[in-house]
Amino acid sequence: MELFDNLLLGLSTALQFNHLLYCLIGVVIGTAIGVLPGIGPIPTVALLLPFTFGLPPESALIMLAGIFYGAQYGGSTTAILVNVPGETSSVVTCLDGHAMARHGRAGPALAIAAVSSFFAGTVATVVIALLSLPLAALALKFTAVEYFSLLVLGLLAAVILAHGSVSKSLAMVFLGLLLGTVGIDVNSGAARMTFGIPALSDGLDFVPVAMGMFGLAEIMANLERNEVRQVVSQKLRDLVPTRADLKAAFPAMVRGTAIGSALGVLPGGGAALPPFTAYALEKKIARDPRRFGKGAIEGVAGPEAANNAGAQTSFIPLLTLGIPANALMALMIGALMMQGIQPGPQVMTEQPALVWGVIASMWTGNLMLLIINLPLVGLWVSMLKIPYRLLFPAIVLFCCIGTYGISNSVFNVWLMLGCAVVGYFFIKVGVEPAPLLLGLVLGPQLEENFRRAMQLSDGDPSVFLTRPISAVLLAVVAVLLLAMLSPAVLRKRAQALAE
Amino acid sequence: MPHFDMSQLRPQGRRLDWPDLLFGVFLIAVSAGAFAATSRLSGGSAADMGPGYMPRAIALILLGFGLFFAGRGLARGHAGIERVQTRPILGIAVAVGAFALLIEDAGLVAASFSAVLLAAAASRESRLFEVILFGLSVTAGAVLLFVKALALPVPIWPWSI
Repeated sequence: MELFDNLLLGLSTALQFNHLLYCLIGVVIGTAIGVLPGIGPIPTVALLLPFTFGLPPESALIMLAGIFYGAQYGGSTTAILVNVPGETSSVVTCLDGHAMARHGRAGPALAIAAVSSFFAGTVATVVIALLSLPLAALALKFTAVEYFSLLVLGLLAAVILAHGSVSKSLAMVFLGLLLGTVGIDVNSGAARMTFGIPALSDGLDFVPVAMGMFGLAEIMANLERNEVRQVVSQKLRDLVPTRADLKAAFPAMVRGTAIGSALGVLPGGGAALPPFTAYALEKKIARDPRRFGKGAIEGVAGPEAANNAGAQTSFIPLLTLGIPANALMALMIGALMMQGIQPGPQVMTEQPALVWGVIASMWTGNLMLLIINLPLVGLWVSMLKIPYRLLFPAIVLFCCIGTYGISNSVFNVWLMLGCAVVGYFFIKVGVEPAPLLLGLVLGPQLEENFRRAMQLSDGDPSVFLTRPISAVLLAVVAVLLLAMLSPAVLRKRAQALAE
Repeated sequence: MPHFDMSQLRPQGRRLDWPDLLFGVFLIAVSAGAFAATSRLSGGSAADMGPGYMPRAIALILLGFGLFFAGRGLARGHAGIERVQTRPILGIAVAVGAFALLIEDAGLVAASFSAVLLAAAASRESRLFEVILFGLSVTAGAVLLFVKALALPVPIWPWSI
């Protein structure tokens, strides 16, 4: 019955007027940036982070979470109507969604995408509620040793699930860890790699790093390509899908939700991987796989359910263990810390209104998204008519103001510029910046726990293997590493990520 | 349009994997920098780590990765790098730089307007008149949003400092 109490507490928090308002602001902003290609949730959340400082923690987190899952909705709208995926997570929706639109069935495609997302969001909310309590209870038994092993597992899983070369992503994690050691060492008070710059004594701020590498570097690379975007205007007739559509879509929706929920919980999971997996599955079990790519409704329902479920369940490791599953959740940790809340399993018991409020707000947020997406779809599509040549200078400016605004520091603006150049270099040599950001955020925690564990064991590293939970976690790490070395798995992974 | 073509760097007869090689060299440089910057910090022992222990341990691993990628880049395959265009990088860099220089000494309006104008110069598609109009309206929007609504403590005009 504790579950119902918790959910009720959450609902009563989420339904407060100003929390509803911030939820609405979050999902509207999320939908907008989801529709617009070239700006994703990471720079947006990074940009708004400094301004959440004055808000109560519940409002701040509810709004930032809304941006994240709202972006998944917006991304699929443009994928279906314009064949432009607003977000990576909606790339697969282009395949069948746009094919349906070309056949004059844009209305049902949009409706099915929205209904699938809503269904998945609702189920994922319950999944989060069910899994959070036992996981948080388990996490309370964790000592520095277990935490270290868990962080290692999280970082490694992030590498494996990321796009691109595993060895390069691994190198990026270590690069992030190195950047994480910049600043005053908490144990000795010695300044490490601060080069005499006072702004660095608290460590590298991850907001300029994120905005430089994800926001500005992306713009630099985008400007090199001359993309012609065509907005296909189409009358949206009958949004309501037929009974046959619903019948065909429902099983795919359920399967997509299951895949998304499972993959989202994994460290390194999130919204990008599940839709690809769901699409592959739908194609595999379909009676006639040739329909896919030509407007199969299952090809819209499955991936759409999966990306929304994944986006939401990736909050589980954050809320229960204090470990971010992806770069965006790393920013959420930043939001918590700005509010003076140390992320970790204790948050669940110390701040129940916050945790359950955020969980319940996902459900109210999904309901709002259903309303703002279906009747207002024309408005969102008209946003695509803003040309990129006007959009990008505005994004550059907002990145500058946002970075400066975190602590009124000009140094951060220069740091962002440096990160932008380095990020551009990363794009050119084909490495993903996300693992670096994760390493940067988790670095200090990793070092702290490692040092404490080694101190307790008198410098004997075998302690990580003699404690059972830690041993299991490290065994999973070893299995993953071994699996990655096998050529068969590498080929499968390349296939899955390439689709 | 000046551009710098990486593929021209490729010596005759020798084919290199440029992305791997450059990434490897980058990692080696970073780890060398980290070693240099932490050389004065004490390392301590595994049971009682000093401030220099972790940075140096990570730098050592990065050095290994760097050598691996650089070696692989030299040894196998050939892959060029897409042409690097200077205009987008310079435009964005100058815009951000101008913002950083102006924000505290000339206020938000001057910094925003010049950042938008300079950033627009990064794209060949920008049109002067349109950009000026757009810059003015975005600047006004930024002042309203960040200073008036979100209460960012920053001067608006050069004379309000």
